[in-house]
Amino acid sequence: MFDNFDLMIEALGAGMWTTVWVTLTSYAIALAIGMVLVVMHVSPAFPARWAANAYTQLFRNVPLLAVLFIMYFGLPKVGIVADNWVWALLGLGMYTGAFVGETMRSGINSIPLGQAEAARSLGLTFGQSLSTVILPQSVRAVIPPLGSLLIALVKNSALVLAIGVPELTARSRRLIEDTQSRFDLWGVIICVTVGYLLIALVLSYLVRIAEKRTAFVR
Amino acid sequence: MSRKNETTVLFDVLGPKGRRNANIAAAVSAAVILGVLAYVAWVLYGEGFFESSRWVNPLDALVVETTWVPAIVNTLVAFALGSVVAIVLGIVFGFGRISQFALTRWASTGYVQFFRSLPLVLLIWVSFTIDGHFGFTTETLGWSGDARRLTFLVLGLGIYNAAILAEILRAGVNALPPGQAMAGKAIGLRHGQVQRLIVLPQVLRNMLPAVLAQLVILLKDTSLGYVITYPELLHSARIIGNDYSNSFLQALIIAAFIYFVLAYALSKLVVLVERRMRKTTAAPKAAAQLESTVAGGVAGTTVA
Repeated sequence: MFDNFDLMIEALGAGMWTTVWVTLTSYAIALAIGMVLVVMHVSPAFPARWAANAYTQLFRNVPLLAVLFIMYFGLPKVGIVADNWVWALLGLGMYTGAFVGETMRSGINSIPLGQAEAARSLGLTFGQSLSTVILPQSVRAVIPPLGSLLIALVKNSALVLAIGVPELTARSRRLIEDTQSRFDLWGVIICVTVGYLLIALVLSYLVRIAEKRTAFVR
Repeated sequence: MSRKNETTVLFDVLGPKGRRNANIAAAVSAAVILGVLAYVAWVLYGEGFFESSRWVNPLDALVVETTWVPAIVNTLVAFALGSVVAIVLGIVFGFGRISQFALTRWASTGYVQFFRSLPLVLLIWVSFTIDGHFGFTTETLGWSGDARRLTFLVLGLGIYNAAILAEILRAGVNALPPGQAMAGKAIGLRHGQVQRLIVLPQVLRNMLPAVLAQLVILLKDTSLGYVITYPELLHSARIIGNDYSNSFLQALIIAAFIYFVLAYALSKLVVLVERRMRKTTAAPKAAAQLESTVAGGVAGTTVA
């Protein structure tokens, strides 16, 4: 079942590593975009709110695969060329960024109105009430949903195989379609499954630690 | 409702000076945004992006009839069948997880946890590949070509989304006041009857917005049929783009626009349903708890 086990583990290990760093890098991009979006969402300037809303609606309603195709296959037609991994990171990051922005916004909205009112009636300025009252609470509120976005991103990162980035799913595909058929189908499937389960388990463990670290002592 | 909270949660209603500053900020941000858009449009114009022939050619009446319309139909068929499979399996496993039999509980939990952590594209492609490794192929059943591809796309979509819907339904059951089931037991209903007559109808009703939001994601995920060359919208757009190589980008953008319209219409339906629910039931509360429970499922349920 596990013919040429060492070769298989080598290939799948490389794929797992690609999946992990693509996920983490694009998640960092997504967090940055999400923060910009949430600032635009709560800003008093209405064009900024509209722009953030348009961005969010756009990326929420168009499939990620279409985004990646437009970026990697489409944009070179208008003279914008970059490597496939650049588009992979940007595409995943911009797509997930829209969801991160929404999550953060609902985190701010989840703080009861009375908290902000209390802060203001104590005489705190806008900046003070934001940094000492609102944000510390909303950060804690959004850690679990941001964690599930990270896990979802691991799965979404498999889509970059369509633009030729050799992550875990693409590697396993290559093993199964091996010209000399050196690898057993079931062995590869089992290993790739275990690979994804491992990544998801480790990441959700890390998220749980982050949750515990930041939890209030009540 | 949310709009009002959003703008006043952090600061008081603006005074005259604040309003003036806000107006200045609005003007500046509008200028920046329009400037960026204008620059992008100018660059695209320089590359001939807006040439009318590039847009008209892939929308030729013949192409629309032979490719775009069948592609949209194929996408919607995959969406409809996938939703049915996902909802049926989702109900089975969602209630399996809270069954009174330990074996059913374990099996359902295993199913949900397993399929929730695998990428959908892997599921679709693996199920398509292992066909023929069980001693028979679906081709001997008379399925071939696109029908066979549709089968595996629907199977993948259904199996994956069932795991997520099962989590949504379980969250719905947990959000239901326990008194409901107790009352059912008190009037002498059996466990199965309580679940079927009292719990399930309420859960389905309460969780309708969350379920619909997941179906929007399922609609977008039909584009993954690309990996097994099912002729859905995105795949067809690429074929059209290859036929009219000057319009490659335009064809992809048209496809993205069609996806946008379909998904946006569906998510507007979610908002509509949500609004009706908010009037009549305790549903939004349960839906709000979901965002932390369902991995990957980002419902549009932000309750201010």
